[in-house]
Amino acid sequence: MIRLENVTKVYDGGVVALKDVSIDVSKGEFVFLVGPSGSGKSTLIRLMMREERPTNGEIWIAGKHASKMPNWKVPHLRRSIGTVFQDFKLLPTKTVFENVSYALEVTGRPRNLVRNQVPQVLKLVGLSAKSDRYPRQLSGGEQQRVSVARAFVNRPLILLADEPTGNLDPATSVGIMRILDRINRTGTTVVMATHDHAIVDAMRRRVVQVERGRIVRDQSRGAYEQRTDAVEPAPIIRTEAGESRAARELAEAEAELAELPIDEEFESPDDLDAGESFEEGLG
Amino acid sequence: MSRLQYVFGEALRNMGRNALVVLGAVLAVFVSLFLVFGTLMFGEIASENAAQWSDDVRVEAFLSDELRNVDQLQGEIAEWSDVDEVTYVSKPEAVENAREIFADNQAILDLIDEDPSFIPASLRIRPSDLQDYDGIASRLEATPGVLEVISAGDAVNQLISLRDGLQVFSWALAIALGAAAIALIANTIHMAVYARREEIEIMKLVGASNWYVRVPFLLEGMLEGLIGALVAVAVGLGAYRLGFDQIQGLVPLIDLTVSTDFLLQRAIVIVLFGVVVGAVGSAISLAVHRYIRT
Repeated sequence: MIRLENVTKVYDGGVVALKDVSIDVSKGEFVFLVGPSGSGKSTLIRLMMREERPTNGEIWIAGKHASKMPNWKVPHLRRSIGTVFQDFKLLPTKTVFENVSYALEVTGRPRNLVRNQVPQVLKLVGLSAKSDRYPRQLSGGEQQRVSVARAFVNRPLILLADEPTGNLDPATSVGIMRILDRINRTGTTVVMATHDHAIVDAMRRRVVQVERGRIVRDQSRGAYEQRTDAVEPAPIIRTEAGESRAARELAEAEAELAELPIDEEFESPDDLDAGESFEEGLG
Repeated sequence: MSRLQYVFGEALRNMGRNALVVLGAVLAVFVSLFLVFGTLMFGEIASENAAQWSDDVRVEAFLSDELRNVDQLQGEIAEWSDVDEVTYVSKPEAVENAREIFADNQAILDLIDEDPSFIPASLRIRPSDLQDYDGIASRLEATPGVLEVISAGDAVNQLISLRDGLQVFSWALAIALGAAAIALIANTIHMAVYARREEIEIMKLVGASNWYVRVPFLLEGMLEGLIGALVAVAVGLGAYRLGFDQIQGLVPLIDLTVSTDFLLQRAIVIVLFGVVVGAVGSAISLAVHRYIRT
């Protein structure tokens, strides 16, 4: 689903953000990118969303050769990638519903799809009751859930999250992680850059540790710190402690999620691969 | 249909949001294009008048009485590429003309009656172009049998240089003012983009096509150019209609009439120019803006 081969990224001014990095993320995986600030996590995310091009090396995203893709093709690629950021990036003048439907409208989706999909995804993130509120009327956790809903409403193949819990307290973070986990269980590949030890340790997913622009560890079912004696903690997303009404709503939404219609416009990764080679044949 | 609604809706909303800046750009376009329209009209008036006057310009070569083969000379001159027409004015005709010209001056009429033979025959030459006058005159002066060459000479030259100067001036002005209008429109679009940078960032994140992001801004620039140009044309035409009589009274020698065809044609050109100025201005802004470029 995402493949980086010997990728080096040097920013203007000579800052080397990544050195000879290779990662292969399969469809449906959940990957944590961990490491200190400035290690290159964000650069990895930006390369994966084709916000940046690598200085050297090749990148494939959703079956497309992203590192060779001309700029005008990027919008189409972005439709198969959902993105979530630390600062939510919501439009303050639009309601919750409008913020989510925006992602469908600007890509020219028909209105009836908007009318169906948006309430479903709002239910998934537990914000059905607040769809007419404005972002400033929401808590940080709720705003981030709107942002996740917007990222997922397109039913993307890949969800990229750069420190999605960075501005949230631990309890609120758990709510966000529940949603990301559910999204992942629908088959969406999730890559999340984070500093949050507790989350990484609790979820026990693949961990890719980046330091000074290099991958120093790539471990399935890993913890934040590399420890051999690590006690496997109780996965926090399973805990019932501190569950609120929102959490119950989430549980209800989980059932709905399984029934969410898969957008037929998205091709399967195999189709995408075939499409790419077809295009190359033309070129 | 909803696409069109979106594009116009966004453009108009943007313009409403930055009403003062937009007003500035529209005024800049208006002033620029109004001046361009004015200089175009002024240039047309000058060149119409120059054309009329130059139609009457003749180079006259007075011939020596000794010249025998007038027909041959007339034929030769008529062959010159810069000569349109050569007319022979015989001595009796010249005397007749002189009598008419000096009908009020008894002293000269007496002089002519006394001995009409001092009035020479002449060749009256119409240049094919006003500019050729000098060359024709100097070649005639070098021709044997020609006594003297006269023409409206310097007056004609001045008229020509005035006409050419006006043309150069109006084009230079049009280019300079057009560039200023483009820069101002680029500035308003720059500010509109900056005001909406967060929205643009999100549009790009969720995969809005580049044109979906750009077209409203492009349209905004074009609308600003269009409005400025329409106002410029309206004010220009209005000023011409209302001020015509008064100004014509001040300069009776110059005919200020400009054909309606010309006015309409130039008005359309100005309006199109306004739209192009707007499009170029916003395109420049979009091309350099870091929030728009991928």
